[in-house]
Amino acid sequence: MKVKEMVEILQGEVLTGHSRLEEEVSIIGAADMMSDILALSKPRMVVVTGHTSPQAVRTGLVTDLMGLIIVRGKQIPSATLELAQQNNFLIIKTQHFMYSCCGKLYAAGLRGADEQQI
Amino acid sequence: MSNKFKLSKYAELFQDIKASHIMTRDVIVLTPEKKISLAKELMRINKISGIPVVDQEKHLIGIISIEDIIVAVEFRRLGEPVRNMMTAEVIGLNEEDTLSDVVEKFETYKYGRFPVVDDGGVLKGIISREDILNGLLEKFNILYVHDKKRASTLNTEFSIITGETLKFEEAEFHYTIAVNDIENAGTGAALLKQFLLNKGIDQEITRRVGIVTYEAETNVVIHSKGSGDVYCFIHEDRIIVQVVDNGVGIEDLEKAMKEGYSTAPDYVRELGFGAGMGIPNMKRFSDKLVILSEKNVGTQVEMIFFLS
Repeated sequence: MKVKEMVEILQGEVLTGHSRLEEEVSIIGAADMMSDILALSKPRMVVVTGHTSPQAVRTGLVTDLMGLIIVRGKQIPSATLELAQQNNFLIIKTQHFMYSCCGKLYAAGLRGADEQQI
Repeated sequence: MSNKFKLSKYAELFQDIKASHIMTRDVIVLTPEKKISLAKELMRINKISGIPVVDQEKHLIGIISIEDIIVAVEFRRLGEPVRNMMTAEVIGLNEEDTLSDVVEKFETYKYGRFPVVDDGGVLKGIISREDILNGLLEKFNILYVHDKKRASTLNTEFSIITGETLKFEEAEFHYTIAVNDIENAGTGAALLKQFLLNKGIDQEITRRVGIVTYEAETNVVIHSKGSGDVYCFIHEDRIIVQVVDNGVGIEDLEKAMKEGYSTAPDYVRELGFGAGMGIPNMKRFSDKLVILSEKNVGTQVEMIFFLS
């Protein structure tokens, strides 16, 4: 699935990384703990999170994530957006709660790292 | 017991481990005028089978073993001074001897332990078979050391894992971690990862280096209450990352190794850390990991990533 299709499903708003809308997304994760992302993420994964500090982006950059989906329409600090912008890192904001967000993406056929087809 | 060490064929692997790295520094000693009965009691209480004998300046002048005690008991000589029963021609090791020299000594002579002296003949430590075993484990395995003996190597400029010299000033990459700057935790890791990518290092490896450095760096910021440094050395076949701090040290490394154990305060948990995954993650993503820590001295983390 392309990033832009995912954005549509979530009725999301792309805040940074606009140039990546045509890229293919294959794995999704959801986590608020940075250590969980560090431990369990896969390269090019998109992570659904409620975490908005610059740490989230830094963690994403270190683990080669494609980007983050920020849930519940949270206010995102400018430092977070700046760091993402500098690195062409994708941030999508959605009004959905984490559970609904995950459910919609799963229903659309996107799988987690544990169910990923090799 | 015929547990002869069959290590000589691997000796060259261990050339870089020195006797001084593996010896026990806290040695029970006797002076020659002490009674043999005292030697007997010291062996019994401490469950040891030999005690080096030194003069007032700590020069090694003999060794008294449990065999000598048995003879002394048989001939009722326990009241005599140690001098009369000790072996004066001591087979010892020099602190610069390599692990292969040490192993050779154990194979050649059937003693359970060898005293270690410096060039001036002053006693520096003692090596038992157990110390060799620890030295080997350190070479081969992930090892988590948390005792006073090893703390003497904290903040020294050689690899904890291989013993090779790693001068901080010669590190290819250096980043200083600021005290308590949680907002910027992970910046060093991100910079290091970019630095390695620019050097043409494989993406899978740079990702792993980034992850473990991130965790180590975050630990310094959250727990150490001190400042720290990230150093990276690029060798032909591996990358070595050291994260060194001068903070409070890790109280209980055994616990810290377990997933889910954390001493992080709430404000840190709100930032998505403190799940007790830090050290387990470092272990998961590095090829070799050693953590040295001593309370109120600091913590030194060394990680190796093989390039092949």
